[in-house]
Amino acid sequence: MSHGERPVALAAECLRRIALGIATAGLAVSVGVTGCSPSGEEAAFPSRSIEIVSWATPGGPTDLLARALAEAAPPQFGGQRVTVTTRQGGAGAAGMQYLRGREGDPHVLGVFTASGTVNMATGRIPFSPEDFTPILRIQIDPFLVAVRDDSPFHTLGDLFEAAHARPGEVSVSGFGAASAHFLGFARLRAAAGDPDVRWIAYEGSADAVVAALGGHTDAAHTNYNIVREHLRAGTMRVLGVALPIESLPDAPSYAEQGYNLTPLHWRGVVGPPGLDPELRAELRARLLAAIEDPGFREYMERAALEYATMADAEAFGAWMAEEVATSRDMLRRLGILDG
Amino acid sequence: MSAFLDGLLTALQPGNLAALLAGSLLGVFAGAMPGLSSTVGLALVLPVTFALDPTPALLMMVSIYMAAEYGGSITAIAIGVPGSSPALATTFDGHAMTRRGEAGRALGISLFSSMSGGLLGTVLLVLALGPLSRAAIAFGPAEYFGLGVFGLSIVANLVGRDPFKGIVSALLGLLFFVVGLDVLTGAPRLTFGTTALMDGLGLVPMLIGFFAIAEALEAVSGRRGSASPRGGIAGALPKARELFGLWRTILRGSAIGGLIGAIPGAGATIASIVAWNEERRVSKAPERFGTGVPAGIAAPEAANNSCVGAAMIPLLALGIPGSASAAVLLGGLTVQGVAPGPLLMTERSELVYALYAGFVVAVLLMLAVGRLGIPLWTRVVRLRPSILMPLVVAISLVGTFSLRGNAADAWAALFFGLVGVAMLRGGYPLAPAVLGLILGPMIETNYRRALSLSSGSHSIFLESPISLVLLLLAAVSFAAPAIRRRVMSGRARAPEVGSDAHDNEPRQEERE
Repeated sequence: MSHGERPVALAAECLRRIALGIATAGLAVSVGVTGCSPSGEEAAFPSRSIEIVSWATPGGPTDLLARALAEAAPPQFGGQRVTVTTRQGGAGAAGMQYLRGREGDPHVLGVFTASGTVNMATGRIPFSPEDFTPILRIQIDPFLVAVRDDSPFHTLGDLFEAAHARPGEVSVSGFGAASAHFLGFARLRAAAGDPDVRWIAYEGSADAVVAALGGHTDAAHTNYNIVREHLRAGTMRVLGVALPIESLPDAPSYAEQGYNLTPLHWRGVVGPPGLDPELRAELRARLLAAIEDPGFREYMERAALEYATMADAEAFGAWMAEEVATSRDMLRRLGILDG
Repeated sequence: MSAFLDGLLTALQPGNLAALLAGSLLGVFAGAMPGLSSTVGLALVLPVTFALDPTPALLMMVSIYMAAEYGGSITAIAIGVPGSSPALATTFDGHAMTRRGEAGRALGISLFSSMSGGLLGTVLLVLALGPLSRAAIAFGPAEYFGLGVFGLSIVANLVGRDPFKGIVSALLGLLFFVVGLDVLTGAPRLTFGTTALMDGLGLVPMLIGFFAIAEALEAVSGRRGSASPRGGIAGALPKARELFGLWRTILRGSAIGGLIGAIPGAGATIASIVAWNEERRVSKAPERFGTGVPAGIAAPEAANNSCVGAAMIPLLALGIPGSASAAVLLGGLTVQGVAPGPLLMTERSELVYALYAGFVVAVLLMLAVGRLGIPLWTRVVRLRPSILMPLVVAISLVGTFSLRGNAADAWAALFFGLVGVAMLRGGYPLAPAVLGLILGPMIETNYRRALSLSSGSHSIFLESPISLVLLLLAAVSFAAPAIRRRVMSGRARAPEVGSDAHDNEPRQEERE
């Protein structure tokens, strides 16, 4: 580990990446301002570096996917650089706006998630799935409901029965209001006969878990990787998980407990609108090869995520459209959305 | 102890030491650049850590985090613009000292206090990981509400001569925080139908607008700050005796930073303001705070560096990031296959001890990097404001943009610049508005969350002992300045024999 040239190489690598980051930021500004798109797009793909736009919080699961992909992808793109640019703001609208403006350009990709489709359903984001070209769904991250080890609840049934018996007194903490997490839980609650369980919205999934750990709420609705260590240590227990998780064989699924639904978080890659179908197929094939990279596999394993790539890009597109539609139905049913 | 020594040996291996040093340099830079912060610095190196082994990757990240907290004070002291938000309280006395011509002294005090706070925070992390992590989860909605109200009560000490104007400023800050999506319902508030306002008006654009742009406009228009400090700028460092004489202040500041830093979501900015306020409260001459007293620099700087170690407590023990920077660190840990949580200490103890030792080495490197930089910074201060401030504005705007890659943030900073100019000309203090923007969300969302949990009963705030104590402290803290004023004016009319002479001490220049 401590070879003589290691520190020097490390410093050089840092400087190179930082310079690159500043350069791409500068490029992003100049392109954004002039609105010009490089000519000669017909040249063999890829003719220049690939940019992955991320509109998620740095260091969060979506941002990490973008960065892991950027690490794994270059060999599949003829050795071209793959960079991640962060464009946060407007619940993702700023990044999406940018991606949407790069019509037909296969060199700009975006990481899209369940939060994106929900934000489209609520109308928070003025876009629809048709504004982008779906390419590849990469991973799913099933929702689960967890409680502190000393909780009186042992099944989802216990939780919902208590809520039926004492309306409004049972609370579940989770990320966001009218968010993918909220709708995931709302669907589960609907399947249980709509007991009055109080949803306590938090700014992040981890904050919601803290609330349950501290005994402030009765349960947390979250993802596996956020509570994994607490499950291993026995400080928390799973009441139910949307889909069976390999490393969690004893956790009962929603279906096993009679709730036939599988709400989950997912993340994938979309391109700008108007991508040539052949280019889209090529991008999908290259990305499929990239996510087979050993480094990427390791990332998936460490983050406790599952591959779920779907049959083809069309299926992914249909899935996104369906997600928007079912989310909209649920929001109407809950009276959050009019009509 | 031998585990710690093993960790120290690991941290001192050439590759790891290089990572720590690179982190210190980048951290001081990210901290000092207005707009950038430890979070941005960490996000910048996140891709680099993919290519590294776990140990150097983590050491580089903790080193950035630590050094950035000192770095923020450099710009706060030298030009009155907090380099990152936890350095806000340092501007009060730090920049005042610079204006008096003692930039070197102020930077020296800040560096020494940052180092001491960093070390004490690390000691706290090593010794109190278990108990403090349990204390951290005891904070629920009612407790956060109490903490927010207590923080806001500090406004009473920031209002300056005209309490009315101070309260208007705080209310303005509270009004600005309302903009954006409501966390609890997802409904947009005061966004005027634009997506640009959906994430609200950020703290960084406000700090840049108020302290860089507004001050620059005032300096350029010749209204403020264009005169060189009396007698020029001295790069002279503080004497060792002065530094060690601040030990009480540093201990108090570090303790406050350690406690508040361990509570997820509270953060270094609140901790450093509370520390400054507490130091003012215990001082025998509170009215001198804000005019450039050493304790007014030492307290917030010890607190924000002590927060770094403390923020690692919920992260390492529970896997819960306690701050935005800790969230990026968690991302780095995930990439390395290190899963923080209750089992980390038993399963990866060698890594945890290397991390502890890394903190100690990082603090010492920060001291070295910081010390070497002081002559440079005191030279920067000598630039004429009409040259310096436009540069600061340009750098700040780039920093604000790069934070999220969003031009709306730069526009927001310009907006706050104009608001700041209007407030400065009307004699309204700026700090209460910043406090309102920071604490507004904590107070509002947790108030509503608590009532949602209690089915609308306000007794939830009184049933929790933590919340009750915090609310009582808030009442005392809010009323204290008014009471003190009344007592003092009463004494001025009829001085009692044998009363505490210090309270009646006339305001005097802090000059030795």
